[in-house]
Amino acid sequence: MNCTEILHTQSYLDGELDGAEAATAERHLETCAECQALAAATADLSDALRKVPRHRAPDTLRHRLTKQLDRETRRTPAKSFWVGAASGGGLSALAAGFALFLLLPPTAASLSQSVVDAHTAALTSQKTIMVASSSHHTVKPWLAAHAGISPPVTDFTEQGFVLTGGRTDEVAGNRAAVAVYRHGNHEVDLFAWPDRGTKLPEPGMARGFRMTFWKSGDLDYAAVSDVDAAAFQKFVALAKNQRE
Amino acid sequence: MDDRRRRFEAQALPHLDAAYNLARWLSRSPTDADDIVQDAMLRAFRAFDGFRGGDIKAWLLTIVRNCWLSAGAATRRRGHTSLEDQELEAPESDPETTAIQAGAKRRLDAMIAQLPQEFREVLILREMEDMSYREIADITGVPIGTVMSRLARARATLREAARDCL
Repeated sequence: MNCTEILHTQSYLDGELDGAEAATAERHLETCAECQALAAATADLSDALRKVPRHRAPDTLRHRLTKQLDRETRRTPAKSFWVGAASGGGLSALAAGFALFLLLPPTAASLSQSVVDAHTAALTSQKTIMVASSSHHTVKPWLAAHAGISPPVTDFTEQGFVLTGGRTDEVAGNRAAVAVYRHGNHEVDLFAWPDRGTKLPEPGMARGFRMTFWKSGDLDYAAVSDVDAAAFQKFVALAKNQRE
Repeated sequence: MDDRRRRFEAQALPHLDAAYNLARWLSRSPTDADDIVQDAMLRAFRAFDGFRGGDIKAWLLTIVRNCWLSAGAATRRRGHTSLEDQELEAPESDPETTAIQAGAKRRLDAMIAQLPQEFREVLILREMEDMSYREIADITGVPIGTVMSRLARARATLREAARDCL
């Protein structure tokens, strides 16, 4: 480890940098063999770590918590949500899952839901692309004309994500511009819609698709795809750091 | 159910697994993790009126970590070592995983468990819980620069140890 920029490169790889800082880190990464090796090794490690199962809270703990909160509130509800969530029976687990969905902050839950709905609807109808082009000179003005917003569009072919086109779509009632990319057999959709101050969901998975949300300028963004974690992170880093 | 409790359950429940995962990796003991999370959720519930928005996951994980620290201090006062019942058994089995992959995962699991605590926690928070440097700094109570160097050390140590199974 001799490179003095190594922590800076790590921050870049972790998606902690934006704007000019990210551009500087990117330029450095292009020329520094040590940082390139770090990037590859970090991606491999992240991928392996994401396959280590997360420990899940046992049902017995949920039961104990319910009882404890009952004592704390000095009122015993007939059947609290914790009990439903912990019982594990088919129907009540289903009900608990439904309750969880209802109880999540509506904006975050509906945004995740809406983005995955739009992505899967486009995939199943095979109408993911309304304008087919690998040139950002074509896709960007088309999106500006049809979606009414003009997010940056960049072809990342050299980094493994081929720009294949764009479409308009709808996310939680907002008109969204979608840049469509291909990575091997997988499609990656990059959604953008006007930021209305909504709190964005945390990165996560729904129905087998990874999603990450972020804000930049006056737009909200969501990347969604079923590529693996390392590829997805790489795409998100690229998308976050593209220039106007 | 009163409104405060409903709001608490709605906001905190989605992060119960995250709370348990952190407690489990910090204490390396299922029994301790149970106690730590139970204690943490109770404290969080009592302090919930003081929680004014912001990231509830980071807030909960901070409380979990504090509970783990005080549980450790209590154990030491009783003359026990906090690592006594550490166990490195295999995580929940995944039927789709082959025996070889399972072996590699288990080894990786054990390697994470053997990292010094200050490296282990930043690694878990970053790689499993997807927390930002700022959030990790807030949870662990150290400057961002320290988070960055600990994360680099944790990854380097793990890469070195896991060379065969990555």
